[in-house]
Amino acid sequence: MGNGKDEDYNFVFKVVLIGESGVGKTNLLSRFTRNEFSHDSRTTIGVEFSTRTVMLGTAAVKAQIWDTAGLERYRAITSAYYRGAVGALLVFDLTKHQTYAVVERWLKELYDHAEATIVVMLVGNKSDLSQAREVPTEEACMFAENNGLLFLETSALDSTNVELAFQTVLKEIFAKVSKQRQNSTLANAITLGSAEAGQDSGPGEKRACCINL
Amino acid sequence: MAKSSKENGPRAPAAGGSLSGTRESLAQGPDAATTDELSSLGSDSEANGFAERRIDKFGFIVGSQGAEGALEEVPLEVLRQRESKWLDMLNNWDKWMAKKHKKIRLRCQKGIPPSLRGRAWQYLSGGKVKLQQNPGKFDELDMSPGDPKWLDVIERDLHRQFPFHEMFVSRGGHGQQDLFRVLKAYTLYRPEEGYCQAQAPIAAVLLMHMPAEQAFWCLVQVCEKYLPGYYSEKLEAIQLDGEILFSLLQKVSPVAHKHLSRQKIDPLLYMTEWFMCAFARTLPWSSVLRVWDMFFCEGVKIIFRVGLVLLKHALGSPEKLKACQGQYETIEQLRSLSPKIMQEAFLVQEVIELPVTERQIEREHLIQLRRWQETRGELECRSPPRMHGAKAILDAEPGPRPTLQPSPSIRLPPDAALLSSKAKPPKQVQKEQRRTKASGQLDKSLGPNQATVMTASGDACPPQDLSPKDSVPQDSAPKDLTYHHSQESLTSQESEDTYL
Repeated sequence: MGNGKDEDYNFVFKVVLIGESGVGKTNLLSRFTRNEFSHDSRTTIGVEFSTRTVMLGTAAVKAQIWDTAGLERYRAITSAYYRGAVGALLVFDLTKHQTYAVVERWLKELYDHAEATIVVMLVGNKSDLSQAREVPTEEACMFAENNGLLFLETSALDSTNVELAFQTVLKEIFAKVSKQRQNSTLANAITLGSAEAGQDSGPGEKRACCINL
Repeated sequence: MAKSSKENGPRAPAAGGSLSGTRESLAQGPDAATTDELSSLGSDSEANGFAERRIDKFGFIVGSQGAEGALEEVPLEVLRQRESKWLDMLNNWDKWMAKKHKKIRLRCQKGIPPSLRGRAWQYLSGGKVKLQQNPGKFDELDMSPGDPKWLDVIERDLHRQFPFHEMFVSRGGHGQQDLFRVLKAYTLYRPEEGYCQAQAPIAAVLLMHMPAEQAFWCLVQVCEKYLPGYYSEKLEAIQLDGEILFSLLQKVSPVAHKHLSRQKIDPLLYMTEWFMCAFARTLPWSSVLRVWDMFFCEGVKIIFRVGLVLLKHALGSPEKLKACQGQYETIEQLRSLSPKIMQEAFLVQEVIELPVTERQIEREHLIQLRRWQETRGELECRSPPRMHGAKAILDAEPGPRPTLQPSPSIRLPPDAALLSSKAKPPKQVQKEQRRTKASGQLDKSLGPNQATVMTASGDACPPQDLSPKDSVPQDSAPKDLTYHHSQESLTSQESEDTYL
């Protein structure tokens, strides 16, 4: 859980979990950050989050994963939630087609509130319930491809692909950030001594670089 | 696979789906669910690693959220005295509210005796009046089919409210069933409002203290009088209250206010669950009950005060802020509040002493509303003005209305006898026992039920002696006397809440 010490991590990436109520966002969060799962985890009201620091290459990245209520009316209070997010897991329940059918609405919601450069992964959760599947893998995979989203099927219950899902998103973000920094370094080199910080507003290499926009 | 965590109760379970009727096993077909249900009835404990499941006095499984360690107990003598006083108040409610409201407020601040809490909340909130004004309404709603859209969401939430409370731990159990009934009824009562997830914990707390019908009307009062707009589309009311809270914080704790300002932390990031659930998911249980006692009496200002006290003590000094370097750390600090500041005696005292008034809240409300209109346009959902507590609610009641008097609950109107009874008496008794067991008053549970059952069987019953024992429905079978134990309650001059 971070106490702000610089030496603990080099980056902080805020990742949000979005999707319909009951698809498993809270358990994906607990599975990834605490290796826990509960059939009776409480309905999320308001905002929950948890962190976990992972190594990406030589960089220590603190993933700040945010979770909130999926119910429609809660979307009215989510702009604070999306602020500064660099990654998103758009989760649906692959045993409930209805939760997949609204994915496009969620995408729109996401792009309305977050940066256009946000890394998004479509996640079909509850893969352990193979008999109850209502969304074919190919269909979701194709949708993801057509919309520039990453895609994985996971099970927070038995852990399948949970680690991979988050790691993939974080790696993508990291790659983007590294590229940005490269570009901005070049730009800074050209505009000699400009005081303007770039998008990746880290004040310097020594301090924690918080990708919050 | 699953590790247990201290925070929200033992998250263990589910080795092989031992908890009954999980959605996963339901998907496999009805048989699987049945087996799971049967197998889980005894096996929760084993699966959770408890030799036997121990329940605290509030009904929480020991070790879970809400289950506390050593508590301050009110001395029995004092408790009994308070109970007598409350009985007197409840039996003469209108008079007390008209002439001695300050005393009622004081007694709510001291804490309502557990044995009378459910009843008191009904009187305070006006839920009792509502019920009297709408006889049969809940049954009508209960028997109607709900909107599938809402039912789907409600069902998903039934096992996610206080799952470590014995009343709600069993899937498909009476607690979850009643929760479903109450929430469904509300979506039918107010179809334009529908269901908001935060209503579930509110309803659950109510159900821990009273039967479904009564809980329904109290929920109505909470949603419409105390916290109007909180659960509506757009959630505008809660956003406004977030701004009000933050604004009030400036005077209460300039240090905390400055910090939250600098960190650009939107109030919604910390106060949403606090306010929408009236702290039922935040505080230790004894504190929740004390807060609700005051809340039902004095209204939303109590909620504001609790929020302000927590903010002040969590973030109000430089030492405390040392640990809050960033946005994340600050919010984290607000989510893992020190038990000391949430402890019953401390918190209640702070709340009582905090000089934040209704007028200040209303004034701030106007300011924030104006700001909203300037920056975001008109509100989409105009909620009715909120009532600041029991007196306001009572005064707003269009008169004249029948005086609130205890009266026998078993009236047998000519046509009622054959109507299907929603709850059979034995079930009610079980529920009553479970509820009172949870509050540590086992012996009293049998009294009132016997009283009313005896009434129903036709014995003479002067109105003052036996007031509605709300749990027994009108057409409850008088023939069911199997659980009758004592004669004393019949002849007692005490009101319904006689205990033996």
